[in-house]
Amino acid sequence: MLTIKNLTKSYGPQQILKGIDFQVNQGDVITLIGPSGSGKTTLLRTITTLEKGDGGTIDFAGVQGELAHLSKNDIRTIRQNVGFVFQNYNLFNNKTTLQNVTEGLVVAHKIPKAQAKTIALAALKKVGMADYVDHYPSQLSGGQAQRVGIARAIALKPQVIFFDEPTSALDPELVGEVLKVMRQLAEEGATMVVITHQMNFARNVANKVVFMADGQVVEAGSPTDIFDHPQVPRTQQFLAEILSNV
Amino acid sequence: MSLDTNFMAQVFKTAIAGVPVTLQIVLVALILSLPIGFIFALVRIYRVKILSPIIRLYVSFVRGTPLIAQILIIYSAFPSFLATIIGKSAFSIDPINYAYIVFTLNSIATLTEVFRSALQTVDKGQLEAGLMVGMAPRQTFVRVILPQALVSALPNITNATLYLIKNSSLAFIMSVKDITAIAKTQAAFSYNFLEAYLVVWVYYLIIAYAAELLFWFLERYFSRFQRTTTAKSFNWHLFSFKQPTTTVQAVQYDPKKELVNHAHN
Repeated sequence: MLTIKNLTKSYGPQQILKGIDFQVNQGDVITLIGPSGSGKTTLLRTITTLEKGDGGTIDFAGVQGELAHLSKNDIRTIRQNVGFVFQNYNLFNNKTTLQNVTEGLVVAHKIPKAQAKTIALAALKKVGMADYVDHYPSQLSGGQAQRVGIARAIALKPQVIFFDEPTSALDPELVGEVLKVMRQLAEEGATMVVITHQMNFARNVANKVVFMADGQVVEAGSPTDIFDHPQVPRTQQFLAEILSNV
Repeated sequence: MSLDTNFMAQVFKTAIAGVPVTLQIVLVALILSLPIGFIFALVRIYRVKILSPIIRLYVSFVRGTPLIAQILIIYSAFPSFLATIIGKSAFSIDPINYAYIVFTLNSIATLTEVFRSALQTVDKGQLEAGLMVGMAPRQTFVRVILPQALVSALPNITNATLYLIKNSSLAFIMSVKDITAIAKTQAAFSYNFLEAYLVVWVYYLIIAYAAELLFWFLERYFSRFQRTTTAKSFNWHLFSFKQPTTTVQAVQYDPKKELVNHAHN
């Protein structure tokens, strides 16, 4: 349902993505792992048009074209079909929990207010934040804010939800509540692409793990393939480092 | 030395005619310079070609020269400038118009910088979040970024307004009959300058204090979304050096609620 081919991206002289091929199928839960600076976040931001790609093609939601030359309409279509959960939540600070979720429904998707409220309340209930509808982001803990961030994304019924290190900014004891929600979404069949350093989540929830390093996909496969039988030395080295830290 | 209280009461009565003049200058300057300053700030932030450097130059000219020099230049240059284009004797124009021009031009420069820094304090992630729920950049700007920028701009707008109120006293140079001018004229009859100036002092104090109060209410209204952690109350004591007291309204944290939530998951 989403196909990226030969994606390249540079910041100045430094090439961040060196020709990435990436495919997401309906119902996939893909985790992206890799050392920092490997281009994981840039990949997500380029696919979702937050950054402009230098080269490569996208095929998603009826849009087929060069990432560097997408029309305004194409960009709009892509944005309206993806959900994005940010590392530092990025909830709208001047809106309540409920408004954070209804905002996109009403303003961008032109859903009538009453109906948007029903959808939003259902989404908030799913993430366990239904009791906080009138709270502003400044009144929420990190874990609560991130769950609202997830509710905001799923309320739009996107084809794919992208998670950019959703638990990295959280206190350790709050990580669990967010992962729980994400696991529940995965079980319900949502299509998700998750950058994470939570290897347990990558191993137990994902059906596909992609290991990136230095702007390239080094190895991709099922969690068992990657975690138990990594083929490439770079993957083996990364996993050894990560797992020895525990 | 004794103060002539009768004279002070008399000046107090006559100078009240200057209050509307002072307020007029302040209001006209504010109403004109707020939207223009905001647009100029946008031009600077989006680095609009040609216009952006011109505005930067303008701002540094205004900020880098004393107000009194600006007043003298406008007041002496404008009439002859007008005379050459409309040919009419420009000296028949009410001098308060020159005051409007000077103080508006001056406030525009200040407010351009106020809005520019306020817009820059809003995190880039707010725009990205708006784009990712499908909103257009302009929709996100109006609905999310602007309300937040306004809140961070308000304290500085208050400052700019207070400066404007006080600076407007310089309008007497352009023979505008504001509070200061009236008091000065009165004092000149009997050489009771100190008494007259004390009255002026009180008038500005009252006006500035009222403005401060008004802006405090505005600030409180627009920062509703930040208020729950700290609520500032207005410092009513005129001469206190104390910072406004900060009372912490505890965010109701109900551990039971939290448990219920986990059960939901």
